[in-house]
Amino acid sequence: MFGKIKVKLFAISFAAIVVTLLMQSTLAYYSTVGKATNVVTSGNIQLLIHETTDGDKPFPEKGVYVIPGDVVSKKVTIENDCAHPFYLRVKAVYGINSQELSSDDCFKLNINTTNWTLHDGWYYYNGILQPGETTPQIFSHVEIVGAKVDNSYIGKTLSLTVKAEAVQSDNNPITDDLVYTASGWPNA
Amino acid sequence: MKKLFSLLAAAVISLSLIMSVSADSNVTYSGNSGDFIFTPGSEHSPTDLFENFKNVLPGDSIIQPITVKNNADNKVKVKIYMRSLGAHENSKDFLSQLNLKVRKSADNDMAYMFDAAASETAQLTDWVELGTLYSGGVVNLDVQLDVPTSLSNEYSDKIGYLDWEFKVEEFPVSPQDPKPPQTGDNTQLWLWASLMAGSALLIVLVIVFTRKKREE
Repeated sequence: MFGKIKVKLFAISFAAIVVTLLMQSTLAYYSTVGKATNVVTSGNIQLLIHETTDGDKPFPEKGVYVIPGDVVSKKVTIENDCAHPFYLRVKAVYGINSQELSSDDCFKLNINTTNWTLHDGWYYYNGILQPGETTPQIFSHVEIVGAKVDNSYIGKTLSLTVKAEAVQSDNNPITDDLVYTASGWPNA
Repeated sequence: MKKLFSLLAAAVISLSLIMSVSADSNVTYSGNSGDFIFTPGSEHSPTDLFENFKNVLPGDSIIQPITVKNNADNKVKVKIYMRSLGAHENSKDFLSQLNLKVRKSADNDMAYMFDAAASETAQLTDWVELGTLYSGGVVNLDVQLDVPTSLSNEYSDKIGYLDWEFKVEEFPVSPQDPKPPQTGDNTQLWLWASLMAGSALLIVLVIVFTRKKREE
């Protein structure tokens, strides 16, 4: 009888030992949670238009007085002012007294056709402008065409605005080295 | 000499560029229920793990390696888990445009643990176990961000915040455990060790009782 009780006692003890061992193995000592706040940012494309005159001085904001036949020094370059390379195109927009002119008859620009290619009214830069780089001059002077600017222009304000647009060149393949075939040109 | 210096300088610059590109982010558990340490962080968040996901552009597909490491002492092993809490409210629109994939790297297991819009919690809504790590053990994760080429200008210069949580549970290391460092070992050696000890005890008890019974 006593022996049977002892066997039972040992069996229970054995079971308890096994359960304890199993429990010890499943219980963790410590538990800790930590939070990481991760951040994704999107880039952008930024350019600067530089307009200078003789002596590399900034072109006067107020403009210059001209008469028919004048040749005005106006050197225009574009700088890549962001961290990404881009394709670039430039357009000259002409105006009179704040009204846009449909014709460029009044102005004649000495366009640098070595580095720029005309397509659909835009001059496309032949290549990729890397971060921090500046293009060669698009043009260096503007001629006021005497034959077109007659007395009706006296006292009026003629304007020549340089408009530039850029699209990323990364992940943006072009066809036959033609920059205008790039994707993403505004209003394309 | 000048040329040699230039070449050396170029080599050093190239090396540093390669290193900066391939640098891993780290999630390190210091042990004793201490904090996690997240590196490298950024100007936007001290716990930022997405060093490579800055200034992304349409069409980008970028991988951010992350090393999860157990730096606890040799007496414990840890089970380590992660989950996503999703994007911050004001980041949801931007991050919903991007796709994120999370997987264990080739050293561990290539199975995707997450593949959805970056704003979602998806397969990481609940805790996902990365593995059991002994002291010095690591799990390597590859996080891939895909930016669609259709991402429009309205999403330029945006910033998106995305929270992840990591959890550890510490367990005692038994003598039967492999010697550290071990990585990504999910086997439950403690179970077999317990059963072996129990069986040995049972055999001893049976022998003792048999002898006692014979003596009686």
